[in-house]
Amino acid sequence: MAAPRNNNSSCWGVPDVYKHHEQKKICISRPKYRDGRRDRAVKVYTINLESNYLMIQGVPAIGVMTELIQLCALYGAVEEYRPLDEYPAEEFTEVYLVKFQKLTSARAAKRRMDEKSFYGGLLHVCYVPEYETVEDTRLKLQDRRRYIIRAVRNKAREKEQKEAVNEKPTSSEKATTSETVIARYEKTVVPDNTGNSSNICHYSGFPLLPFPPQEYHYYRHGNPHWTIPTEDKMGTLHNAIIDTKRLEPQSSSSYQASLDKDRGTEQRLTLNQAPAAVRFVPRTTHLENRKRRMEEAADHSLTDVTINNEPLIGPKLPEPPKLDMEDVSLNTTANLIRNTLKKVESVPDLKPVEKKVKPRRRI
Amino acid sequence: MWKKDSSEGSDRFEYLQTLVTEFQDTDSEEAKEQVLANLANFAYDPNNMENLRELQVPDLFLDMLTEDNANFVEFGMGGLCNLSMDPECRDVILQSNGISLVTNCLSNQREETVLSAITTLMNLTTPSSRAEITDPAILQCMLRFSLSESPRLRSLAAVFLQDGCSQEQVARAEQQMQGQQTAVGIPLPKDD
Repeated sequence: MAAPRNNNSSCWGVPDVYKHHEQKKICISRPKYRDGRRDRAVKVYTINLESNYLMIQGVPAIGVMTELIQLCALYGAVEEYRPLDEYPAEEFTEVYLVKFQKLTSARAAKRRMDEKSFYGGLLHVCYVPEYETVEDTRLKLQDRRRYIIRAVRNKAREKEQKEAVNEKPTSSEKATTSETVIARYEKTVVPDNTGNSSNICHYSGFPLLPFPPQEYHYYRHGNPHWTIPTEDKMGTLHNAIIDTKRLEPQSSSSYQASLDKDRGTEQRLTLNQAPAAVRFVPRTTHLENRKRRMEEAADHSLTDVTINNEPLIGPKLPEPPKLDMEDVSLNTTANLIRNTLKKVESVPDLKPVEKKVKPRRRI
Repeated sequence: MWKKDSSEGSDRFEYLQTLVTEFQDTDSEEAKEQVLANLANFAYDPNNMENLRELQVPDLFLDMLTEDNANFVEFGMGGLCNLSMDPECRDVILQSNGISLVTNCLSNQREETVLSAITTLMNLTTPSSRAEITDPAILQCMLRFSLSESPRLRSLAAVFLQDGCSQEQVARAEQQMQGQQTAVGIPLPKDD
């Protein structure tokens, strides 16, 4: 690889070709369980490799710089940019250096633009941290550290909240998880016991992890459940995982579940009734699911689903034949559900049914 | 790829556990590298840090630092660089003699490994570990790096020196270096 030729730390100096600019060969030998949707090379990303400076190669030399920068700007504010004429480029292509205001924008731009077609050319986008000044680097590390500490603290707080809410773990769940053989990494040298007593516990079962929260079940009818992709993820698998922290009851749901003493029974109810657990489901399907579930709920007797209490306004439509459940409170509940169903059915679906689901990234 | 029929938390944990298991069980060097890189990349996401900690992955990464395979070292060091941003992982690494193992990586031939080591040392700095991390030998190493031709190495070393220690400490280290050949000692990494 070309050795660094200059000591010029200004980002506008003659660029060097570094190894980390190269696209590595993709890995073709991964076993299926960890083979992602996209082919990727074997590479580790650290904060040092990432940067708010991106280099974009493969731009067709047909005068589309403005369009390129406009495309970049979709992902965040662009502070500076210029063509890198001195950088080795394939024939009829150009290379550009783009400085984003934020690292997260650069990350998103890289993820979305790398390997994409642009005016007939194939873009190759990579980070170029060597263009950072000392101050850039320091800020980058500081921001990263702050973000991690904040994220970890939030996670700890959520966990505490979930544990407080989830006071009725189902014993069946615990049984299944304890059957899992725990294969934690075993050190080659036996550690001394200071602070490592937790090692021993781990080998004997699955007792120390917090019980996986289940209360998301009774919010499922209310919310879209996929993680809103945040800029700082590198396209890891968890993008496809439901983010359980978004489970607060939303008033966007026309079917409001109240958090009160009914919670416990509601949990039981939805555990019986809910289909397969949290999965990656588009919003429109949620609406349909919710409708269907409410119809089912109206058919089966439910004891404790709470509905909003808004009175119907306007002329009453001829009512469908009522089911008498031979119990005053059940009948009241069923009526309330029926009323709400009417309301829900009158709301048109705003989103088009065909919604392109973006493929989620893997490492 | 995630199992989608149980809760997110245990899914994630189980998947990571599967990776660790494969790493321990497989004989294939190539598979080990892939899994190690996976784990190191997962360590970048704060959502995974607790799970990785419970699976003792910090120790896994530390063990990689003394391997012959340069990829193992690079990926392990990268994983530590990512994990050490989390205060709890940081403490685990400190307890497992992390400073000394990471410092040894400062003399690695691969620039990426060295960069990860410098960043990790910065992350490992706490009031109690500061003295060890600003040992004159390390400061001198950083001073040499700050004169490197590689811009990334220069910048990182500069941040280390400016943020990690006082001006007096740096000055003292510089003085000590006067008496030595600057080229001898910890070699600068090759950018190959």
